[in-house]
Amino acid sequence: MKRNPQAGVRRQAGLRLVVFSDADLDDIHRGTLEVLERTGVFVESDEALDVMADGGCQVDRENKTVKIPPHVVEDAVRAAPASVRLAGRVPENDIVLEGGRVGFTNFSAGIMVIDPRTGEYRKSTTQDVADLARMTDRLDAIDTYEHAVEGRDAPEETLAVRDAAIALKNTTKCVGTGAMSTYDVDAIVRMGAAVAGGEDKLRERPLVYFCECPVSPLKITKDAAEVIMASARHGIPNNVISMAMSGASSPVTLAGTLVTHNAEVLASLTLAQLTERGAPTIYGSSTTAMDLRFAAASVGSPELGCISAGVAQLAQRYMLPSFVAGL
Amino acid sequence: MAALAGANLIYGAGMIESGVTFDYAQYVLDNDMARMIKHAVQGVPVNDETLDVDDVHVVGSFGDYLSLDSTMRHMREQSQPRFMDRRVREDWQAAGGRDAYDAAREAAKRILDEYHPEPLPGEAAERIDAIVAEAEERAGVR
Repeated sequence: MKRNPQAGVRRQAGLRLVVFSDADLDDIHRGTLEVLERTGVFVESDEALDVMADGGCQVDRENKTVKIPPHVVEDAVRAAPASVRLAGRVPENDIVLEGGRVGFTNFSAGIMVIDPRTGEYRKSTTQDVADLARMTDRLDAIDTYEHAVEGRDAPEETLAVRDAAIALKNTTKCVGTGAMSTYDVDAIVRMGAAVAGGEDKLRERPLVYFCECPVSPLKITKDAAEVIMASARHGIPNNVISMAMSGASSPVTLAGTLVTHNAEVLASLTLAQLTERGAPTIYGSSTTAMDLRFAAASVGSPELGCISAGVAQLAQRYMLPSFVAGL
Repeated sequence: MAALAGANLIYGAGMIESGVTFDYAQYVLDNDMARMIKHAVQGVPVNDETLDVDDVHVVGSFGDYLSLDSTMRHMREQSQPRFMDRRVREDWQAAGGRDAYDAAREAAKRILDEYHPEPLPGEAAERIDAIVAEAEERAGVR
């Protein structure tokens, strides 16, 4: 039988979960703007205070508090790219973070492992860093390699640089790494440039991306500020991961937690954009609830699911790529 | 939930014990799960080809769909978990009766023994080593 084309049908493409209405998102956004303007955030780095003052923020040098006017926040959100590419050493491993595309990566910064050969529970080593980078390369549904575990058999002072070097050698997928200072960022960018064939090429196809975490509630530490500014100057993607725990370092209500979480991420993003307009920034979340009975972070909880899903929707409203806890 | 909301990069694969411990076998299992989730978020495409009404007419109540062209055409689109075992109990037992964790642990060992990604060009590796050496020198740990 002949079935002629239909005129103008609306189809659903893909399954979708809607956590918030537009009014909900507007309220969370307005609450965040209010917190950033009225309460402000603590910023530990003098250099970052200069950048934010020059960018139109109200800076109290004595208390290191920065109040950010709403128009500065909204301008920064618009300045950040809507799409971020994380490149692999081989182009078929490149992935694009944008819109509703769904990808996966491993957990990061573990300090113990379960050894598959012996079944033993032991401290993680630099050999594990290499082995897990290699495994990531092989696992078809994992899109990037995050610094899975710390190499604890080598000096702690050079952990970020050394473990990033090991990862770059052992996987052809994009390497996500922490950093503790401007020096770390510069060194890791130089390593990436050595592989890419120059810093220009690395900027086009970043083989590494950085991450750092504001400290809840509402603090950007010196380390975090340095990493944000240094990665922005290099034009290398930077993942700002807030790790609020509702009931402890953020309001006990999830909506209130999303407000402080959002304030922490947008303040960091504003610092990045004021440092270098257009700096690729990823909206990250490891925020969850604190189980107040055990004083333990509840990961794998309904709260974590709701927050991570809500954050994804919030990031989409801002046209920013998202990175959230889950799986 | 995060995947259904369209999160771009979801992290956590391989983790147990609230993020303290990384379990190689769990990582292999989570890879399977990640692939299944990527499958699920694609939902159910609806169009003339997928509605497949003409085949339904041909097969009627007494035929089957196994040998149809449309089945051949679309069979690779089906989800294919490696460690979530879909066999019935008897077949699973006959094949050794290993649970998913043991099978994943074997797979992890196999990857570690046999898999080697494309190495870095020698010159790049040397420059990376030099940068690490420099960092160690600076920190006074070399």
